[in-house]
Amino acid sequence: MRLLALALRRCLWMPPTLLGLALIVFSISHVIPADPARVLAGENAPMEQVEAIRHKFGLDKPLPEQFVRYVGDVVRGNMGISLYTQRPVADDLVERLPATFELALYAIALAVLVGLPLGVVSALRRNSWLDQIVRLVTIGGLAMAAFWLAILLQLLFSMHLNLTPVQGRIDGWGPDPITGFYTLDALIRGDFETFFAALRYLALPMLTLAIPAMATIVRFTRAGVLNVMQSQFVFYQAAMGLPRRVVIWKYILRAALIGTLTQIGLVFGNLLAGAVVVETVFSWPGLGTYAYQSILQSDYNAIMGFTLFTGSVFIGVNLLVDVAQSVLDPRGR
Amino acid sequence: MDHVFGPAMGRRAAIAGATALGAFAGTAEAAGRVRYVTANNNPYDILDPHQVFDIGRIAIRLNMYDALVRWVDNPPKLEMWLAEKVDISTDGKTYTFTLRPNLKFHDGSPLTADDVVYSMERILGLKKGAYGLFSDVVKPGTTKALDPMHVQFTLNKPFAVFMAVLSELWVVNSKVVKSHVKENDWGSEWMTRNVAGSGGYKLRRFDPAIGFQCERNEAHFMPFGPGAIDEADFRVSMETATRVLGMIKGEFTTTDGYMPAEQVERMKASGNVWFKEAESIRTFYFIINSAKAPLNDVNMRRALSCMFDYDGFNNNILGGTVVRNPGIIPNPMWGAPADLKGYTYDIDKAKWYLSQVKEKIRPLQIAAMSGYPQSEQAAQMLQAGAAKAGLEIKVVAEPFTTLVPKFDDPDRAHDLIPLWRSAYFADPHNWTGFIFHSRNFKAGNSSFYKNARVDELTDQALVITDREKRRPLYEEVSRILVEDAAGIFINNTKFYGPYSKQVKSVRFCPIGDTQDLRWIQMNT
Amino acid sequence: MLGRLARDRALLAGLAIVTLLVLAAIFATPLSNFPGDVTGFNPAQRLKPPGEVYWLGTDRMGADLFSRLLFGARLTILISVSATAVAVLVGVPMGLVAGYYDRWFSDALMRISDVFLAVPQIVLAIAIAQTLGPAIHNVILALSATYWPFWARIVYAETRSLRNEVFIEAAVAMGASPLRVMVLHVLPSIASSIIVRTTIGMGGTILAAASLGFLGLGAPPPTPEWGRMIAESREFLPQAWWYATAPGIAILLVVMGFNLLGDGLRDTLDPRIRRGS
Repeated sequence: MRLLALALRRCLWMPPTLLGLALIVFSISHVIPADPARVLAGENAPMEQVEAIRHKFGLDKPLPEQFVRYVGDVVRGNMGISLYTQRPVADDLVERLPATFELALYAIALAVLVGLPLGVVSALRRNSWLDQIVRLVTIGGLAMAAFWLAILLQLLFSMHLNLTPVQGRIDGWGPDPITGFYTLDALIRGDFETFFAALRYLALPMLTLAIPAMATIVRFTRAGVLNVMQSQFVFYQAAMGLPRRVVIWKYILRAALIGTLTQIGLVFGNLLAGAVVVETVFSWPGLGTYAYQSILQSDYNAIMGFTLFTGSVFIGVNLLVDVAQSVLDPRGR
Repeated sequence: MDHVFGPAMGRRAAIAGATALGAFAGTAEAAGRVRYVTANNNPYDILDPHQVFDIGRIAIRLNMYDALVRWVDNPPKLEMWLAEKVDISTDGKTYTFTLRPNLKFHDGSPLTADDVVYSMERILGLKKGAYGLFSDVVKPGTTKALDPMHVQFTLNKPFAVFMAVLSELWVVNSKVVKSHVKENDWGSEWMTRNVAGSGGYKLRRFDPAIGFQCERNEAHFMPFGPGAIDEADFRVSMETATRVLGMIKGEFTTTDGYMPAEQVERMKASGNVWFKEAESIRTFYFIINSAKAPLNDVNMRRALSCMFDYDGFNNNILGGTVVRNPGIIPNPMWGAPADLKGYTYDIDKAKWYLSQVKEKIRPLQIAAMSGYPQSEQAAQMLQAGAAKAGLEIKVVAEPFTTLVPKFDDPDRAHDLIPLWRSAYFADPHNWTGFIFHSRNFKAGNSSFYKNARVDELTDQALVITDREKRRPLYEEVSRILVEDAAGIFINNTKFYGPYSKQVKSVRFCPIGDTQDLRWIQMNT
Repeated sequence: MLGRLARDRALLAGLAIVTLLVLAAIFATPLSNFPGDVTGFNPAQRLKPPGEVYWLGTDRMGADLFSRLLFGARLTILISVSATAVAVLVGVPMGLVAGYYDRWFSDALMRISDVFLAVPQIVLAIAIAQTLGPAIHNVILALSATYWPFWARIVYAETRSLRNEVFIEAAVAMGASPLRVMVLHVLPSIASSIIVRTTIGMGGTILAAASLGFLGLGAPPPTPEWGRMIAESREFLPQAWWYATAPGIAILLVVMGFNLLGDGLRDTLDPRIRRGS
């Protein structure tokens, strides 16, 4: 019951939060000194051409009216037309979504699969040489600028070792979409050549995103495990004569898992943020490059659409994490 | 299996080919086909030929659409294309074109004078892309189809460059476009992602994030030569290093021809790439906002022109990949005086000019285009020269998108902007009247430069059709612009087009470089 | 407590790095080989690899990268200190007021910070920086506008938990004004959390500022901003490997320094949240 109430309350807060977000982004984007209509019309366009575009996109209306109209449209599922791509923003977002999600999921999976065991081992062998190295690498991973890491990886793996492509998502055209995830689509079709090609393209951006995420997970897992190990409760279990292996598996890991889970929301947020920069460096055709391009083009509707979309995903993920945490750890926080 | 695409792609393309080429009996086999892959540093996001008017996306228009006339070779020549013949009335206001017989769109339907009329009306109605080229002289409803083979334009005043700009009147399939019109949008939403043209290549696939793929249109009126490209991929690849690496590895057949000197050297050293060199018509200069004091003082502008290290920039920074161009009209273009003497880097002279400035001298501001290293480096170069002459200059970097709106207002406009003036049509008007006539404030003249003699000469040159009579007028304009230091004129770009060894020959034209696929010959 | 400080190697390392950064910034002119190269340059010497004359090589304008790095340190400090300071000055009072009172505006303030936290910070910062135009003060503004909620949240939570503590209740009972209670009683008790958050926040702002510089939204050329230097280098890869390496390592070290310092301070100042060791 408490769980349901929590979920419900959080869901109820979502619309006003998103509305506030829309207002902020709207204010930011509409004081842009750039005149999108002018940009769209081109450098040498006569004024009437600019006016025509301004009128078509409703940019000649007063700002409050533009905002109200926008919110009304969004509620009806219409996010407007991108000034730059000339298509509905919703279509653009849906089209670019799979690329970003595929990348983010691989990165999270890698981060968890490597980070979790590393964190546990590092905690169990506290102050060993392994622990020291892991801690150093973790601190480095969190301090590294994503774009620099990306360039280093490109230099090493693409330019010197010639193992991976420098950028892009696939060599030419991806498989005809079923899910939109290239690797999955290729597997479904049994096309292993494409599958491995897609993986090679995924490798570097995935690694770039995964390294800071991994560092976060290692840190929290390690701290979580240490916390549990020092608790009276585990001490008691051990004193009761339970074998160390059982204590580790049954109690410590469970606690560590919960600790990590709470970080997934944070990690996911960082991934989305990182995606803007990392996708730009790797020309990954996802939401991140889309956001960056639209900001540079002063493409109002696209910027707003991306921000609202990311906001909803972000809030949604955090909600799921909270619910999952309550289920796993009924003691509450 | 095809090596241009890589194994995985070859297979998929073969599947796609089998369905798409079902009509061509026995040619569905992907193997013997001549493939071509271009890596472009601009996204191909809009396919509509009437919505965009830029060089970055010109491959779409050149290859999948046709116009009445077309530019070829260097220096550019205007050739009859969809049209066979043109009659121009003696008052220079009526142009009557005769179309070639049996022209066909990609869907097999005939291309007639009605389609030409519709295309002109669509440009005037959409008010986008090349609209500004026509809006002054062609009014809606004045273009007539006399019969399916004859189309007539009636201008409201003589316009000497009308033939030159007609190369941007891309003819669309009016029936197809009309069937996709939504609320008076001239079918623009549909046309953004689809092609309704007649060009030498037909669209096969399109994804704005990846690029487009096209295949040869065998039914095109202009026959293809031996070694012509069967299918081509135009891919988006923003990173210079990727494009260079792709060239070296042979993944790309070609990429852009304006790379930094270091990268050109690297590709040459690989032994897998050859270069087509050509002097283009794309001048690089600083726009000077001459409406704002002290830049309204000619001696101030002259002083600035003496503060730029032309040699250091052209030969050291750009490694000699450009040619010094003392005026605004590119050297190879007619109308550029052969003996034009420009300014040289001379700090003492700059100081002397500064001492002659009557207006109060203040620190100036350069707005470099962020994301364009050459623009930023030129800004730094001028800044350093000015510092030596005792003039303070601040550099800001702004994306093109925020620079452009400021072109409208002399108070908001920056003092100095380093940028390129590319060829949209090969006529001196593109570099003179269009960007320095005072009528074009807010529509091309971003330097707010005003000189009655320049206005008079460029107006005169627009109503005469004889090139030999126009030439001296533009030469005089060019000299006046240097005398007045209307801009800091730096260089003309050289094209260094990298090609894989599979390419036998290309035909360069400054309008679109070598992106017009039909002129490319491959080794088979 | 000083003994503890000295025993923590991580903290010492952090302190050393941050001190180095400050020294590099202060003595940039005497330390650099070519102090003039920040604005002037030498086209004939462009893209030279590291060597005896140019320790870290030269850039696309022929300027000495080592000298530019040193002057870049000034910028890094300027941006991170001012952006963090503004964020603290906005966030802390907001959190304090919202946490101390339990009125409608407490909720409202927290909901506003929710809105700011609902999207990744860098996205908002990019949008703001692009809107205002590329300049150092705009980067500072963009970062402080997006980072203040972090301080607001932390101060809010801490103030909330302190509100019912005996010493606060005693002060209120003694007739102290709310302002007095907040500034003289609450603030000192939560100061350590703020200091820890601020130290780590410095690292975050340096990274974010570098990202903006990298995307072309930071300081204009020829400013020796580290992120921008990396962006400039991309065109000359892989030959000019040193071009991206030097500023990248500088960013890594400095951010690491602040993070280590922050971690160490947390262990020392804030016994409630202690690392396992």
